[in-house]
Amino acid sequence: MRIVATDCGSTTTKAILIEEKDGVFRQTFRGEAPTTVEEPFADVTLGVANSVTELQELSGYRLIADDGTIIRRKSAADADGCDLYISTSSAGGGLQMMVAGVVREMTAESAKRAALGAGAIVMDTIASNDRRKPHEQIQRIRELRPDMVLVSGGTDGGDTKKVIEIAELIAPARPRPRFGGEYKLPLIFAGNKEARQTIERVFSGEGFALSVVDNLRPTLERENLGPARERIHDVFLEHVMAHAPGYDKLMTWANAPIMPTPGAVGDILQTIAKGRGINVVGVDIGGATTDMFSVFGGVFNRTVSANLGMSYSISNVCAEAGMDSVLRWVHLDMDERELRNRVKNKMIRPTTIPQTLEALVFEQAVSREALRLAYIQHKSFATTLKGVQQQRTVGDAFSQKEAGGSLVDNMALDLMVASGGVLSHAPRMEQTALMMIDAFEPEGFTEIAKDSIFMMPHLGVLASVNPRAAMEVFEKDCLVVLGWCIAPRGEVRAGRPAFDFTLRRTNEVVAQGQLIGGEMRLVRFGHGEVGMLEVRPERGLDMGAGPGKPVTREVRGGAVGIVLDARGRPLKLPTSAVERRACVEKWLKALEVYE
Amino acid sequence: MISSTLILCVISLDSSGASVVGLANTSITVAGSKADLRGKIPLNELGQEISAPPAAISISAEDVAWDAGGVIKVSWQPAAGTTSATKWIVERSEVLAAGQGAGQGAGQGPWTLVAEVPIAETNAVVSKLSPDASFFFRVTAVSPNGSSAVTTTKSAATGHWNFFIGAKLPLFCAILLVSACVIYFILAARRGRPMKVRRIAALEAITDAVGRATEMGRSILFVPGIQDMDNIQTVAGLTVLGNVSRTAAEYDAAIEVPTSRSLVMEAAREAVQASYLAAGRADAYNADAIRYITDEQFGFVAYVSGRMVREKPAACFYMGCFFAESLILAETGNSIGAIQIAGTAESSQLPFFVAACDYTLIGEEFMAASAYLSGEPDQIGSLKGQDVAKAIAAIIIILGVVLATGAAIAPQGAMPAALEWLKGVLGS
Repeated sequence: MRIVATDCGSTTTKAILIEEKDGVFRQTFRGEAPTTVEEPFADVTLGVANSVTELQELSGYRLIADDGTIIRRKSAADADGCDLYISTSSAGGGLQMMVAGVVREMTAESAKRAALGAGAIVMDTIASNDRRKPHEQIQRIRELRPDMVLVSGGTDGGDTKKVIEIAELIAPARPRPRFGGEYKLPLIFAGNKEARQTIERVFSGEGFALSVVDNLRPTLERENLGPARERIHDVFLEHVMAHAPGYDKLMTWANAPIMPTPGAVGDILQTIAKGRGINVVGVDIGGATTDMFSVFGGVFNRTVSANLGMSYSISNVCAEAGMDSVLRWVHLDMDERELRNRVKNKMIRPTTIPQTLEALVFEQAVSREALRLAYIQHKSFATTLKGVQQQRTVGDAFSQKEAGGSLVDNMALDLMVASGGVLSHAPRMEQTALMMIDAFEPEGFTEIAKDSIFMMPHLGVLASVNPRAAMEVFEKDCLVVLGWCIAPRGEVRAGRPAFDFTLRRTNEVVAQGQLIGGEMRLVRFGHGEVGMLEVRPERGLDMGAGPGKPVTREVRGGAVGIVLDARGRPLKLPTSAVERRACVEKWLKALEVYE
Repeated sequence: MISSTLILCVISLDSSGASVVGLANTSITVAGSKADLRGKIPLNELGQEISAPPAAISISAEDVAWDAGGVIKVSWQPAAGTTSATKWIVERSEVLAAGQGAGQGAGQGPWTLVAEVPIAETNAVVSKLSPDASFFFRVTAVSPNGSSAVTTTKSAATGHWNFFIGAKLPLFCAILLVSACVIYFILAARRGRPMKVRRIAALEAITDAVGRATEMGRSILFVPGIQDMDNIQTVAGLTVLGNVSRTAAEYDAAIEVPTSRSLVMEAAREAVQASYLAAGRADAYNADAIRYITDEQFGFVAYVSGRMVREKPAACFYMGCFFAESLILAETGNSIGAIQIAGTAESSQLPFFVAACDYTLIGEEFMAASAYLSGEPDQIGSLKGQDVAKAIAAIIIILGVVLATGAAIAPQGAMPAALEWLKGVLGS
């Protein structure tokens, strides 16, 4: 079987070839070409054909016909062509949506989750308690130019008044879509079913293409995002893509619906989490935005941090985190004024890459802060449902937990997947691993991997057509396992023992020793190696089994190995600049980050 | 904030404090109805007279300084040979007007026993006397062989009322310390110093509960207890009502407040109306939703429960003083699937609320709710200052426990003395 997959990004269209050899699916070749969605070409298929042509040249198979279309094989015996073609798209800014709900923390938040999970960028959230006056809300709706609107609100049999009030704000405001005047703005209603008739009446005028799906919150105790997400995908294809240049043609080529790129990434992470029964966090740090994905306990969440990125948004990262926070990760002497110039340069010349060690260290320090801030935002969004009745016993008298707690638990996290330029293209794998560890502060045993060539979007769509192929390619070619981070939760005391460890391969002891508080150590454990790691934390430190209790787990080797981190969680750096710099330098040396 | 466990400790401190007072007074035992042996000379088995102990050489009485009057210290000098006696009897007599008190000493009235002290003692503090009244005192040594002759004060002594009571000095210092803490933190909060108050889940959940009512298109029920405005819990409940109704106004949710006291109804109306005004929704305020039901405890409960079953509010708040009705209301609310938030300082009702409600404000949390919700520097500073004072109290309790334990283990060491000193300070 031969599969061609493309991802049409804003600037580059990336194509990969996946082939089944000896019963195993592997990604074999990769090609890329500039995206041609904008003028003067205004036809996305040209860029697709160019990128697939590169595949053709590298693989030796004929994949592009003379008319520029992708050749399909009639049988497995055919030398040329492919059996399956799939694609994702984030060209032209991806899918941009406006969402609305009655209560910001309840139905409006569910609407936001549905939109983000489907791969959209949420431009704004309108709610009856968003502290804006109706005229301000109308003004905002008029300013936005979304591809689609999702309206939710009220439980089934619950409130209708406010849902209709919100509809009556949106309808006369008539938000203008991005694509031309003939385009009817798709509006999905996923609210109280008793309000449907009125909603249909309110949006019956010209300008809206209304579709109604099941309520996102049929009861406050249950969130039903599936129907809305599917409808968003359908509408994305029927309306948004159909109006984008060349997409009508591209849709006829593809064997599976074209998905928004982040939606596809979310799908593959969910497939992996479900298949391996693990909790996953994935990050894609770009120039302007940072996408964060998580699957905890089977619940998928995605957030887009719109102002955290490594080029267009780098200045905002420095402003939001503060230069002191950025510089705490730097072990070299740097002039702050020069750094500020460097930041502005990166903003106006986003494609530049660091040319000196200093520049690299600084960029990676900024990335740590961008990732850390994006993760904080993600944790506050990926929460349990609010407004849900709690069941208590008398034993809960002093431990009444609030509803809406974060689902993200670093101790329960099994796998972190890194992607995005600064992480994927770091000169050394150790740098990627340390950036992820410093930003995410994983606890217990956590595997770290990176997406080798940002293949996850392709595999996300592939998972909907051929899940086995997607899983096999993901495990073997997509993920580059960097290793494991072993870190106890709790405050360590500098200079005092933090934990002992013993790494065994079958019965042979590969490494053992003791970590002192504030220390980091790297145990090289190569790709393909499997061992049992026993960790015995000191009293008060938790490796996942409770404070002071030993844990033994299987670990797989990777390009970096096993990172033993005895800095404690939450991670605290010394306040004195001299001590902090010495500490950072010690950690960088221990992990051979810049050597 | 100091937990309720600490409050229990404070109570135990009070009890131990009381015992300190008792210990200090053990040397002065008020006599009961014991036989008066004076003037009777006992005989031995051979019929010979047995000699009585000698009388005290001298006696004096003086006012105790820095007190509220009514306390006089009587001291005497025992004669040699008094050691054969077992105790001293101290008696007092009021000063009579001229011509009164026939048969007594000049100006002296009938004698009243005020203290019996061990023979080794040479003084007694006589308390509970009328302030600014004058008394004569006399002392008699008593042995099994008989009583000595009496020794009487030459002049009357008066217990004067003093403006400053020295014994209360530690208490005065404690008040100064607490006040200083409160003032310091209020000023610090006004200057903008960040004050960390731990998250209180029950108060954070108010928006959840109101939001639930909004999404479900149902009302919010707020019960401010069954006591009147003279109960501090009712006042605290109405403070929370102000916040709940403001959130309800912002979310445009309906709120209903049944009351069992007419004054509470008026106060609740004021609070809710102010909240609607503050939220810019004065038009949405409905005075009829805040109504008086009945003063009868179970009549009120019957109405509220019935209303809950019929109207099925999505959120129920019980904030105030509750008694037997707590479980009835909370169970009814639970059965209709409402989010319930309760708050009371009635410790006997807390377990019911904790078990049946989603969130419960326990004791002091309820009282601190006002500061927590308002976030006003004065209230937050005051809360913080009180917390510091409670922390000092907790340290003293721990110190007392350590000293008492140490004294029990090593009675000869320095611990007993230190414990006595602490008892003296606290007992005063």
